[in-house]
Amino acid sequence: MIQFRSVTKKYKNDNYALKNINLDIQSGEFVFVVGASGAGKSTLMKLLYNEERPTSGTVTIGGINIANLSNDKVPNLRRCMGIIFQDYKLLNNLSVYDNVAYVIRTLGISSKEISARVLGALKIVGLFDKMRATPAELSGGEQQRVGIARAIVNGPPLVIADEPTGNLDPKNSMEIMQILDQINQRGITVIVSTHDNAMVDYFRKRVITLDNGEIVRDIQAGTYE
Amino acid sequence: MSNPKAEIKKQVKKHIPKDWLCELRILYRLSMETVNGIRRTGLGNFVIITTLAAILTIFGAFFRTALTMSSFAHELGSVLEISVYLKDNANAIVSKNSIQAIPHVVSVNVIPRANSWADLRREMDLPDMNNPLPDTLHVKVDAPENIEPVFNSVKKMSAVEDMSYAQDVAKKIEALNQIVNTITIFVLIIMCVLTITIINNTIQLVIQARKEEIEIMRLMGVSNWYIRFPLIMQGAFYGFTGALVALIPIHFVELGLNNMHEFFMVPLPLYTQQFVVLTMFAIGTLFGATGSFLCIKKHLQV
Repeated sequence: MIQFRSVTKKYKNDNYALKNINLDIQSGEFVFVVGASGAGKSTLMKLLYNEERPTSGTVTIGGINIANLSNDKVPNLRRCMGIIFQDYKLLNNLSVYDNVAYVIRTLGISSKEISARVLGALKIVGLFDKMRATPAELSGGEQQRVGIARAIVNGPPLVIADEPTGNLDPKNSMEIMQILDQINQRGITVIVSTHDNAMVDYFRKRVITLDNGEIVRDIQAGTYE
Repeated sequence: MSNPKAEIKKQVKKHIPKDWLCELRILYRLSMETVNGIRRTGLGNFVIITTLAAILTIFGAFFRTALTMSSFAHELGSVLEISVYLKDNANAIVSKNSIQAIPHVVSVNVIPRANSWADLRREMDLPDMNNPLPDTLHVKVDAPENIEPVFNSVKKMSAVEDMSYAQDVAKKIEALNQIVNTITIFVLIIMCVLTITIINNTIQLVIQARKEEIEIMRLMGVSNWYIRFPLIMQGAFYGFTGALVALIPIHFVELGLNNMHEFFMVPLPLYTQQFVVLTMFAIGTLFGATGSFLCIKKHLQV
């Protein structure tokens, strides 16, 4: 499903964020991308949702090289995936329901269909009874669950989570990871970047370790170290 | 084996049903986004619309005046009469006969100096004094293009002191009209730059205020046009509303110029005012939208 071929990302200050990355991720996999700060985890995630473009090499998703995707096509790509951020990126003036519904409303889907999809997503993340609350009224863990609901509301085949537990305590982190695991069990490919070794060790999924922009380890059912 | 590109298209289609109802819903959502954007600008709307109204009023007034002057020049240019002022010792009847012999002359009317003086004294309430006016001949010509040759032929006659004809005045008005036209074009250019700058700054503030929201929309895959459209519509709204407000002062300009037309009995070309109003709306809306579009290009990666 996802292929990185000889991907290098160099920033303007001549710093290499990624060096010659070759990687294959199959459909339905759950993958942890781990590494110290500055190892290149976020850059790798950004390449997937086309926020960054590789300096050289190709990034292919579903047979399409997204490295040279035109700007007009980028929204189409992003609508085919769910993206979860460390800082949740929720709209504080909107309710939980409206935050989740925001993007699918722009697609011209009927209110009935939107309602069905949003309520379905909120049930998965366990926030059905808090749909009228605003993000400010929720805990960090709950806000991240809203972020997950928003990511899956359009039924994407791929979910990318960039440090989803970075701002959460261990209990909330565990809940978030369990939700992501449930999503993966529905056949959705999940890629999570994290430096939370406890979570990685607990779930025993495929672990790709980055160090200084290079893949130094890639093992199935692995641990953090 | 199925084509992966086709598979992705199928996936996208499944989630984004495109039909006319869907397009209508998108249009409705975009309209609501535009209304929300305007509402969020608050009192700023008042300042922007007033400023644009002032700019459009100046442009409209110049444009309307240029059209009036053009109609005056046109009207005077179509008067086919030459006024010939004779020397003191000239014989009016002899001169009349000589002029009548010139080709293209239709008729020659003699206005004796005594009559002219009596009329002038009555109109200006002048005291009794020596009559300074000459005998005058009004020469009618068969076609506008023959005025010039007849004028030159009469001018050569020794009995003629001075001459004038309406086209002469028309040419002067035409020259003045050219100046007004040039000023109108300058005003138009300045107006465009000001409108684009004002809208640009306003939309920049809107983008700054909504930066986080726009960033989230972008990352979540909201289409570039969905982000751009409400902002462009907001710019167009300011231009349109500015033109709407400018209708009030422009109405008074219109009244003044209409009085002038009535006083000089110069007919106003059909739909002049409608043309001016339509131009104001078109320019206001177009440059409002353009200002917004340029701002989006500069400040948003969409």
